[in-house]
Amino acid sequence: MLKRFLESVGRYCLFLRMVFRKPEKWRIFWKQFVIETDKLIISSILIVGVISLFIGGVLVIQTASNMSNPMLDRMLVGYMVRETLVLEFCSTVVALILAGKMGSNIASEIGSMRISGQIDAMDMMGVNSAGFLVLPKVMSATLLSPLLMMFSFVLGLLGGWGVVELTEIIPASKYITGIKYAYNGFYVVYSGFKMALFCFLISSISAYNGYYAAGGSLGVGESSTKSIVITSILILLFDLIVTQLMLY
Amino acid sequence: MIKVEHLYKSFGDLHVLKDICLDFEPGKCNMIIGASGSGKTVLLKNLIGLMSPDSGEIWYGGQKLSEMDYDEKKALRQKIGVLFQGSALFDFETVLGNVMFPMNFFTDWSREQKIERAKFCLDRVNVKGADDRYPSELSGGMQKRVGIARAIALNPDFLFCDEPNSGLDPYTSNLIDKLIHGITEEYNITTVINTHDMNSMLEIGDHIEFLYNGSILWKGDRHSILGTDCSELRTFVGANVLARNII
Repeated sequence: MLKRFLESVGRYCLFLRMVFRKPEKWRIFWKQFVIETDKLIISSILIVGVISLFIGGVLVIQTASNMSNPMLDRMLVGYMVRETLVLEFCSTVVALILAGKMGSNIASEIGSMRISGQIDAMDMMGVNSAGFLVLPKVMSATLLSPLLMMFSFVLGLLGGWGVVELTEIIPASKYITGIKYAYNGFYVVYSGFKMALFCFLISSISAYNGYYAAGGSLGVGESSTKSIVITSILILLFDLIVTQLMLY
Repeated sequence: MIKVEHLYKSFGDLHVLKDICLDFEPGKCNMIIGASGSGKTVLLKNLIGLMSPDSGEIWYGGQKLSEMDYDEKKALRQKIGVLFQGSALFDFETVLGNVMFPMNFFTDWSREQKIERAKFCLDRVNVKGADDRYPSELSGGMQKRVGIARAIALNPDFLFCDEPNSGLDPYTSNLIDKLIHGITEEYNITTVINTHDMNSMLEIGDHIEFLYNGSILWKGDRHSILGTDCSELRTFVGANVLARNII
């Protein structure tokens, strides 16, 4: 078991070495980068937006309902919603959602290409298949995912504001004061960094599993499932490590 | 010129290739024939570098494949065209895009030049009016022909075809055979074809190697195959009704 794990880690490192070779032509790389950005980032905007909007609203209700003590200022609801969103939801929870959406997309796409011989065909032409197929995905997911995190953060706050306006659970002015209270810009940097790291793990591990898929369509399904399970666990593990390193 | 010397390949206890020695002639259709499971595809994958042999050498010209570094292998692969069993056309590209794919990477031609060359290759394999279609919209025979067009896009010195007739009707199969043979002679390519199709062997087999249980048992050409005294080959050839009546 340990031997197999170490072998997988070694193979993953060798895979990354292939992925990060200099592209044959930068023009082709940028073209693929745009295509992958559309497939991985832009197509995720809707799901991230909807979830963030609702979670923001739910957080307001939950926080307000747990702060019935009259000694506590109601503006703390806005403050706590903001901190929850920026510290954990917009990076970790959104990354877990993306692990399902983005991860399965990457693993199944590359896995299907492997079993249908398209990757062999690229290798036989002398094209670095790992670089051509995976590098634009990894770069796009890693570099642009912090924008998704920012988007999620803003939508989450808006969702909370919407609930405040609709239900008047707390005064809207208190909510606005709360979300501005004791603002720490470093938390946004920390969250953006986490998101980039998580999306690097999602894209590279899913691509790795797809790239070495074997055993026909069952193998593709297996690689997709494996990718989601492994990246979900790694996201939680790295969340702990990064939080310890950056916030404590 | 491709030469193979004492090639061995095993998977665990299964010895798939045993002491394979081959010489493939330029400008000819060199065929590797044998029953399913005899090791043809493994041999082809070793020849094109998708697998590494356990021992033995493969020579391209005067160079050993095993001693080539990454850049040398990359340069060699640009001289190799491969037609895979399932065609392996790229799903994300149109027919024209598939043929232009290697040109995008390895030439500095303008877009117009690439389109012109791609259309020439598609014309050569008789694919017309399908430039903007995707592989999933093509028939099996069309996919094979586009696969050949892509394989010859960069004027290769070597063409490898893995079961080019599999899944095709006899008429289309014959067209593909003639196409491969014509291209081989026209461009003086060293073509290596993996097949168990009797019609192909008799039609275009300039040089034939019979692979049996991982070893080469017989060498010859399409004229001598029916008169062979190799009993394993006679059994293999005799499985075909028409050939059985001749031998």
